[in-house]
Amino acid sequence: MATQSGRDKITRNIVIGMVIFVVAIGVIFSFIGNKSSVDAVIPSNVSKSDGYGIVLNGDLEGKPVIDLWEDFQCPSCARFEAINGAYIQQLVTEKKAKVIFHLLSFIGPESILAANAAACSSDEGKYLQFHSYLYANQPTENSGKWTSVGLLEAGAAVGLTSSKFKSCVNAVTYNGWVTNVANDGASKNINSTPTVLVNGKEIDRNTQYTDLTAFKSAVEG
Amino acid sequence: MRRLKPWLGLFARLVLGGVLVTAGYLKAFNLSQAKMAVRAYEMFPIPVANIFGLALPWLEIGAGLLLLIGISVRYAAAFAGALMFFFILAISQAWARGLSIDCGCFGGGGQIDPSQTRYLSEIVRDAGLVLISFYLFRYPTSRFALEKLPENMINVEKREG
Repeated sequence: MATQSGRDKITRNIVIGMVIFVVAIGVIFSFIGNKSSVDAVIPSNVSKSDGYGIVLNGDLEGKPVIDLWEDFQCPSCARFEAINGAYIQQLVTEKKAKVIFHLLSFIGPESILAANAAACSSDEGKYLQFHSYLYANQPTENSGKWTSVGLLEAGAAVGLTSSKFKSCVNAVTYNGWVTNVANDGASKNINSTPTVLVNGKEIDRNTQYTDLTAFKSAVEG
Repeated sequence: MRRLKPWLGLFARLVLGGVLVTAGYLKAFNLSQAKMAVRAYEMFPIPVANIFGLALPWLEIGAGLLLLIGISVRYAAAFAGALMFFFILAISQAWARGLSIDCGCFGGGGQIDPSQTRYLSEIVRDAGLVLISFYLFRYPTSRFALEKLPENMINVEKREG
């Protein structure tokens, strides 16, 4: 039978101390890394009052407001886009609705990079084109496609070739903004992507997300 | 049986500790998802759920490390057992209230399609882990533990043998 020696006790206390240290550091870094930053660089067309979302037709009055919470890597979001994307684009170009895109990043690092790149495309006025290109070419989750190289290729495919866009994608300029959007979603209890709100009210995910006619009537009332 | 017990203890430590470290690790680096997973249970006010989602992965990692290394096994096992019991409560209330969520135990989480819920198997798994925690709490001595004789078991061992 082993006996409890003094040295055993010291080792024990050291190890306990180290484990507590790891846990404490982990928790502290998680809190700091996840805090919203008021100093975060913010892309164009983003308004703090609209929860850091990318706003199209922000000055439109008396028209429906559509809030879209989505993640570029989420398959259901790609399905939603395939069904309703063209209609949403039409609403934007014909100035029939104000549309706010909240780009979440639940699915992992490549969601963050894709959201950043989309914000870069917004700076260049090509947000909608880039947005639908990313969904139309959605890879498997975190497969390595939505890293800078793939995202720059995606940009080039819709005519985003400026050096400004490239450096914005490469430097992940809007990393802090992506965190702010995520925290805004967390505080608004968004627990699924896509989540779609019309005039501030969530529409029915079982019937109105996957049917264009139902979605149209939800928007147009 | 006396010869077998330390090996059983080792097995229990590896299973429970391994599950905890894996579960914590898979969540600790996607915290917006971890927060969402806790919110989706609809048990706490949203800000509380978000804090919980940030801290939980690291607590799991901590308890898991203690079990794997074999230090303070009784306390770590008690903590793990309480945690698993709490998870069972959380999953059961979600099931009873008709929420359709993923347990988010190993990453993932949030609302899912009702046809994809797996409440029963999640509860059975956690119940198994509760039993392992009980075992380790009662018989914390095991092979290859850094702490040969858990402090609070010295008297028991002396009495038994």
